Amino acid sequence: MAAINADTASASAHRSRAEWRRLTLERLVPATLLLPSLLFLAVFFALPALGLVSYSFLTQSPEGTVGLPLTLQHYQHFFGTPLYSRVLLITLRISLCTTAAGVLLAYPVALVMSRSPAAIRRIITMIVIAPLIVSVVVRTYGWQLILGNGPTGILNWILLTTGIAKTPIRLLYTETAVVIGSLHVFFPMMVLPLASALGKIDPRLEDAARTLGAGSWRTFRKITLPLSLPGLAVGCGLVFSLTAGSFVTPAILGGTGAQMLGMLVDQQILVVYDWPFGATVLVAIVLVVNILSNRVLSRRQMADSR
Amino acid sequence: MNSQLNGPIAWLLALIAAAMMIFILAPLVVTVVISIGTSAFAAFPPRGFTLAWYGKVLADPEFQTSLIFSTVLALGATAGALLLGVPAAFALARHEFPGRGGAAAALLSPLIFPVLIIGVALLQMFAMLNSNNTPLNMLIAHVLVTMPYVVRTVTASLLLADTALEDAARTLGAGRWRVFRRITMPQIAPGVAAGALFAFMVSFDNFPISLWLADAQHNPIPILIFQRVASVFDPSIAAISTLMILFAMLIVVALERVIGLRRAVAI
Repeated sequence: MAAINADTASASAHRSRAEWRRLTLERLVPATLLLPSLLFLAVFFALPALGLVSYSFLTQSPEGTVGLPLTLQHYQHFFGTPLYSRVLLITLRISLCTTAAGVLLAYPVALVMSRSPAAIRRIITMIVIAPLIVSVVVRTYGWQLILGNGPTGILNWILLTTGIAKTPIRLLYTETAVVIGSLHVFFPMMVLPLASALGKIDPRLEDAARTLGAGSWRTFRKITLPLSLPGLAVGCGLVFSLTAGSFVTPAILGGTGAQMLGMLVDQQILVVYDWPFGATVLVAIVLVVNILSNRVLSRRQMADSR
Repeated sequence: MNSQLNGPIAWLLALIAAAMMIFILAPLVVTVVISIGTSAFAAFPPRGFTLAWYGKVLADPEFQTSLIFSTVLALGATAGALLLGVPAAFALARHEFPGRGGAAAALLSPLIFPVLIIGVALLQMFAMLNSNNTPLNMLIAHVLVTMPYVVRTVTASLLLADTALEDAARTLGAGRWRVFRRITMPQIAPGVAAGALFAFMVSFDNFPISLWLADAQHNPIPILIFQRVASVFDPSIAAISTLMILFAMLIVVALERVIGLRRAVAI
């Protein structure tokens, strides 16, 4: 006992010396460690982002130089032109459909994932995560092969061969194709937060509800669903914002049939060279995404406080 | 393990989950199947078996240039991300200081910011600064998007590492550097390796940033595929894509070995 006390005493002497050193270095060390990365972020992330936002309020001369006077005309142009409102509407519709489909299809996967024996869980996790590491361009190309219009598209080939459809259906270059592609690209972002929320639920709560006479549906509605809402909210926020800001999938699968905001930016900047307007569309994307995701998140806080 | 599912609802759930697994794998499997067919157009069903498309792709100088550029860029981005990200992770995980939460949020913010905007904003800045060095511009952009992954995995592994061991080593008389080399490093090595693998893959796969900054001489593979999807209709794109898929699967296996896939992704 005495030996242990002596040990603790010497340890605490050591610790107090370490504590003293830590106190003097408390500010200096983390500041030095953080300085390079934060400086890098400030110069190559914050600064350009601010520059882009300021561009959306500036005027571009016919020669292509951007400068004063300050103006709100690009925003008026964006929100006042029916063509652009339509692109905004399509973007919102595609993002909402992808999110809704994601919720409906990811929930069963996450449930099975969190309630299965370890081996099955491992396989599902692998399959859900693996595509994250495959380039979006590659995955979208795969969907182009599947959804191809005409009889050589794989889905059409299956439908025609099995006799489900008499003539090839037209899917590629529609909003549906973009929703399918986006769902595939962002599906892990819905499943993973949901699965970790479901995994954290104390199984005794569900057992208790069932013991007290609640059926499976009622147990799900009263216990499982409310407790999984935080994960669901994170998943919805991620899928919605990532879909709304995406470029590759609508460009390859939507073409001109489903033009989204990302493609509008690309067009305005790389084809029309209208930097201020391109910047305006980007700011609009961020605004739309943030306002709508914050809605979801504040609902989640409400659910938490209940 | 949670309460097991049972009854007809369980079967329905299992069915949907199985269907989704097929949905997830379908475009990858289809790409592989198309890449070994003999028909001159990427069409279904494939006829015959050939590896000719791979030969064509591997002999294509444009593809070779892209592959080398993508690899060098990804290696450079990974090195940069480690250089900036590992010290930052140490500050976040091992030091208590005012504004730590803010610093953590700032370091991870490129993850949740639409990548499209990062690309355009950087293009605008590089144009304004007259910085025409495409490889350097792209390296900076790729470090920016890969660094958060390194910060995240390394911070997580530092938080999981047992600090009592470090205290013990120090008590036993080991200096700071020795403690770091003998105790801390072995514990966080898998986290750093996972962060590096992830950073490499994120850079190698990146499309939305490269789209804005690439030029004809410096064309990473995802951009090459994107350009060809619209103009080339033979299975050579499927062959390139398959190579990308196989490479990604290698990385997946490596990540699973090193740290466990679920922890590496950490969403």
